Amino acid sequence: MRRVVLGIALLLLVGSCKKPTRLMSNLAVANKVSVRSVRLYFQGPDMLLAAETRNVSLPENPAGALSVVVRELLKGSANSTVARSFPADTVLRAAYLLPDGTVFVDLGGPTLTQGWGTGSHEELMAVYSVVWTVTANFTEAKRVRLLLNGEPAETLAGHVALDRPLRAAEWVVDPRRR
Amino acid sequence: MKRFVPFVLLAVLVPAITSIVLAQQPSQATLRISAGDRPVATVTLSGQLYFNAGDVVTALGGTITPDSTGFRVTLNNVVAAFGPDSRFGVVRDDLIEMPAPPIVVDGKPYVPWQFFQGFFKRAIDNEAVWDPATRVLAVRAAQRNVVSVQASVTNVQGISKIVLSLSGPAEYGIVKQPGLYTVAFRTPIHAPFAEQSVEDPYVQKLTFAGNELRIQLSAPEVVGDAYKLENPFRIVIDFRKGAAPAPGVPPPAVSRPVDQPGIRTIVIDPGHGGKEVGAIGPSGMYEKDATLAVCRKLALSLGSKLGARVVLTRDDDSVISLDQRTAIANQYKADLFLSVHMNAAVVKGAHGSETYFLSLDASDELAKKAAEGENAVSAAAQPTTSSDLKLILWDLAQQEYLNESSKFASAIQEEMNRATGVQNRGVKQAPFKVLVGATMPAALVEVAFITNPEEESKIKSDAYQNMVVDAITRAVQRYKTDYETRIGVAQPPPAAAPATTTTTTATRTGT
Repeated sequence: MRRVVLGIALLLLVGSCKKPTRLMSNLAVANKVSVRSVRLYFQGPDMLLAAETRNVSLPENPAGALSVVVRELLKGSANSTVARSFPADTVLRAAYLLPDGTVFVDLGGPTLTQGWGTGSHEELMAVYSVVWTVTANFTEAKRVRLLLNGEPAETLAGHVALDRPLRAAEWVVDPRRR
Repeated sequence: MKRFVPFVLLAVLVPAITSIVLAQQPSQATLRISAGDRPVATVTLSGQLYFNAGDVVTALGGTITPDSTGFRVTLNNVVAAFGPDSRFGVVRDDLIEMPAPPIVVDGKPYVPWQFFQGFFKRAIDNEAVWDPATRVLAVRAAQRNVVSVQASVTNVQGISKIVLSLSGPAEYGIVKQPGLYTVAFRTPIHAPFAEQSVEDPYVQKLTFAGNELRIQLSAPEVVGDAYKLENPFRIVIDFRKGAAPAPGVPPPAVSRPVDQPGIRTIVIDPGHGGKEVGAIGPSGMYEKDATLAVCRKLALSLGSKLGARVVLTRDDDSVISLDQRTAIANQYKADLFLSVHMNAAVVKGAHGSETYFLSLDASDELAKKAAEGENAVSAAAQPTTSSDLKLILWDLAQQEYLNESSKFASAIQEEMNRATGVQNRGVKQAPFKVLVGATMPAALVEVAFITNPEEESKIKSDAYQNMVVDAITRAVQRYKTDYETRIGVAQPPPAAAPATTTTTTATRTGT
């Protein structure tokens, strides 16, 4: 008798565990991963952004790949002489691609949260390094809006307006290293 | 005792399992719209209730279509988009925030009810309200809250300023007549008094009548200019003596770059301040201190050499929001706005100055938003004017500001190059927050790189600061002469030498 009861309980438990899978089945994204060459934008010695190519294992769906690519950018350049665009403690909280081509990149980290004291040039380079990296690697991405800790932010460091999505401005990138 | 164990286990497990299963089971709610009640499918997942977006949107005559990464919703020609990876939807350029990302069940999108709240407000000016007790999602005409109004009148530097402090955002229009200025609220208001006389050179009496505030002025030639401030919401109206309006001539629908010909008022903005120190030099110099030092000298120089009225957005170590800086320039009806900053770079040896004006993307969006605001304001005064025409006029005005901003920025950059001999980093366009919303030619100059030890050392010195001040003063003088000559209020100078340095393109010059 005890075995039967336990068996029924187990069946009910297993049955209930399957439900979320059914419910979320349409959300299940293809988890296939392939190595892709991506272009990451860092500030070069001439103080313009320049593309650095890196092979990265990416999920095939753009939504998953977005986060991976932005995290690669935040890691910094493979060239140790190239400075980081963002404070070292910056983290990516999330990245979303919306159907109209707007990408939301949600950043966080102690320095950005407490107030990044830097000039307009560094702030422009940081913001547009994300915009260029995202739009260069994902054809669906037309423009990028940065969020800070999940919320709309006025600026990162007191200069560049983040209350609107940004398109990839041409002048911030070295035309020879686009 | 062992016999009881299975029953105890069942007693614990069955309710838990049942609740999990129930939580996953689809359920129904009622959608209440003007056409009647409709059923709408709902799903609860992890405690979050989701509504079948198609059920709701199609009941209101809209459509919903999937695309590669999410869904596109169209209602009343307004399109919103959302996807299962984001708890933010977008409608035009605004965000619709949801407590959780939408989900897809059997190919159909389900969203938290807050999506409808954000979307319907923008698409059909309706509000969506969810009542969990009755499980009714009601979509109805927005019920505007009554806002309380407080009014104050002060006279500062010859300008009578009325500040209407509101308990929340309000829609309003303004009707200007000789001797009478009326604020017509479209949001219900709670007035602080019915009538109040005022001891003021320009304002005689304030009268609240229904949803209107009538401001009785002391003379027909007293003119008022209104603008709004947010957080908290305030309507500020500045009254001053102006030319008497010709009878029957309505006020212009779109303000021009300058109301009075010539460059008379200049607002100088020392970047950062207070806890927002800006960039920090290698020896510890704060950008906020450097900009204030330069701007104080610049204000004196412009005042004495150009005879201009110069206003500093801050004259101490206070925090001024970026919006407020531009609002001050608009408030004073400035003819020029210049924000002064020190630059920073991680690249070693970075040096030189650069000047920015607003980039087109930002100004386009600003123009649209401003046009909407302008339309709202002038609707009561001129109900027959086409909103499209106003949008075009506003666009033209904004474009004119940009053209003038480009000339102003070029003059500054050229004089900086000539005077300081630092590297010309050129004139550039960027979406700088402090330039957004300025209704006059506006620029931002990065004097030098405070992160460069040599340049930081220079910035500290009086001699260098004076050189920078002289250069900017000459640039403003050049721009003023050029502008006033072009609009015909000044004669061209006898030796109006053309600029000797490289001129700019719209986006970038110099290296």
